[in-house]
Amino acid sequence: MRTFRFLLRRALMVIPLLVGVVFITFMLVRVGGLDPVGQLAGPTATEAEFAAIREELGLDQSLFRQFLIYAGNVLQGDFGESWLSNRPVLDDILGRAVISLELLFWGVGLGTLVGIPVGLRAAFRPNGRFDQVSRVLSLLGFSIPTYWLGLVTIFVFFYLLGWAPPAMGRISLLVSPPPTITGSYLIDGLLQANWEAARSAFAQMVLPVLCMAVIAAAPIIKQTRAIALDVLSSDPIRYARATGLPERVVRRMVLRNSGVPILTYVGTEITGLVGTMSLIEYVFAWGGLGQYGLNAISRGDFTAVQGYVLALALFSVIVFLVIDILVYLMEPRSDLT
Amino acid sequence: MSLLSVEGLRTHFISRDIDNRVRVAHALNDVSFSIDRGRILGIVGETGAGKSLTAQSVTGLLRPPARVVGGKAVFDGRELTAMSDDELNTVRGAEIAMVVQNPRTSLDPLTRVGDQLVRTHQVHSGGPVATSRQRALEMMEAVGIPDPRSRARAWPHELSGGMAQRILIAMALMNAPKLLIADEPTTGLDVTVQAQILDLLRDLVARLDMATLLITHDLGVVAHFCDEIAVMFAGAIVERGPVREVFRNPAHPYTAGLIAATPERLRSGERSVQFGGPPPDLYNLPKGCHYRPRCPFAGAACHAAPPELETTPGHRALCHFAGAFDRAQEPAE
Ligand SMILES: Nc1ncnc2c1ncn2[C@@H]1O[C@H](COP(=O)(O)OP(=O)(O)OP(=O)(O)O)[C@@H](O)[C@H]1O
Ligand SMILES: [Mg+2]
Repeated sequence: MRTFRFLLRRALMVIPLLVGVVFITFMLVRVGGLDPVGQLAGPTATEAEFAAIREELGLDQSLFRQFLIYAGNVLQGDFGESWLSNRPVLDDILGRAVISLELLFWGVGLGTLVGIPVGLRAAFRPNGRFDQVSRVLSLLGFSIPTYWLGLVTIFVFFYLLGWAPPAMGRISLLVSPPPTITGSYLIDGLLQANWEAARSAFAQMVLPVLCMAVIAAAPIIKQTRAIALDVLSSDPIRYARATGLPERVVRRMVLRNSGVPILTYVGTEITGLVGTMSLIEYVFAWGGLGQYGLNAISRGDFTAVQGYVLALALFSVIVFLVIDILVYLMEPRSDLT
Repeated sequence: MSLLSVEGLRTHFISRDIDNRVRVAHALNDVSFSIDRGRILGIVGETGAGKSLTAQSVTGLLRPPARVVGGKAVFDGRELTAMSDDELNTVRGAEIAMVVQNPRTSLDPLTRVGDQLVRTHQVHSGGPVATSRQRALEMMEAVGIPDPRSRARAWPHELSGGMAQRILIAMALMNAPKLLIADEPTTGLDVTVQAQILDLLRDLVARLDMATLLITHDLGVVAHFCDEIAVMFAGAIVERGPVREVFRNPAHPYTAGLIAATPERLRSGERSVQFGGPPPDLYNLPKGCHYRPRCPFAGAACHAAPPELETTPGHRALCHFAGAFDRAQEPAE
């Protein structure tokens, strides 16, 4: 019951957040220096043509009215049409979100699965051999530019070694994609026992997922180590040692007490990684939401950019909500919220 | 034979500076004391004197870069300073129990206090869990916690400071220790609660025949609660002996200054007993007597390391002129 009340409260808190998000994305895009009218009209357009386009797009209305219209539409799930492709932005975004989430999920998942244990182990023996090696690796992961990392991986694993397929999207050109169920070729292939498609989708995914994992793991290692070191020198652990609790019990205590801050960190990191992922998507011609966003921005596709930013913000809100709930569930002192 | 005897214990912080030169902080230089069953020894000294470090060195709780580099601590016939961590873990919390300064933050925040009491009993004494539970309730009762059964289900953050300190004392008692080390057990507490906790401690020590090491800033506490006193300065016990004897005839000028500087505080129980200048630089201690730069009586002889002299039986001071320091500057015949 208490859990239910907590969930309800957290979910309700999302509403004002969303209103703010819609407003800010709306404003950002307006003041962001995009010039859709110029783009649509072309270089030879006359004043009258300009005015006509402005009117058609509703840009002659006051900013406030524009916002009300926009917010009302968003509420009804209408994100507008892409001014360049004339397709509903929402359809574009939904279709691509799955593709991006797939990459994000495996990349961050792998990065976390590696990063947390490595960080913990480094913290238990600070300045030991393991710590030093992991510190160098994580520094490397930090400092490599994303774009470059993608290109080098392709160069090494496709061009030099020939282990990976060419980086041309989510499935080999020679394999026909499975009919859509979830939108993920890998899962859809598996669900329909289309092993060829699943295999190809998997092979295409390996390199970009590895890149994402490297990018995700580096800061996770560093943060996990720092958090665990903090906990290790905290009063409860020192007192536990003073009361002669054996090392194995002490370590379990460290794990339990680091869990929440580590989880919270991973949550914030995920939302940040979405931006970085655009570049990986771009390099691997992934065709996901990130690549869509990059395209929309570079072409000044007003509604698409708006939709993209809104989708990212929505994603962040959801991630934080999920983290909050997980933290709540991990927290044994149930009267704390 | 004493329950715990510490002889010439020295602890250094050994680190390297930017130029990779070794730097040594001489945090404990010569710590010797002993304590018997049923007795309370108070260790006093200004902040940074090394009181907590002494407790940590004796119980093997030092963390790098701190290291015991000399001397030994013998507890109940066994040399603590030569034990492995695993061996020490069988002593700590069992035969030697600790009560620390920050009771509220020291308990495991994610475990109910009753479970923590049970855990320490299970780890050290084993046996059926039901027995440990029973004992936890008894110990909570013994330290004056009302309604132990419901209190056992509390989370640490739900406790007041005084209540948390009682839990820590109960925790210390779980395995019937021979030695209790209490490092400023009342510092964070209200004055009235302080007195209650100290009374409780004194009561328990007498009843359970434990030896107790009480670390404090407060000479008043020592005067009221301790049988013996050890005065620390710059990582050395500069004077030790029976409380009445030391208070009446301080044999070391530092002790004399300490007592003289705190007539008011003796009663009010105020913190901090700093007087007469800054603490010495542990990286660069003065030659000879470490107290020399601050000593109003220092003479030429004080450039040599002082011996520990016994003025009356059991009353010793680390001073060339122990018991007669006010005549230090007179020419020796
Ligand atoms: N990492 C370190 N490197 C060098 N010196 C250190 C280090 N950590 C602590 N010290 C020194 O060790 C000395 C002993 O500290 P300790 O905590 O034992 O003092 P204390 O007598 O308990 O003081 P307080 O009354 O404030 O608790 C201090 O002078 C401190 O400066
Ligand atoms: Mg201290």
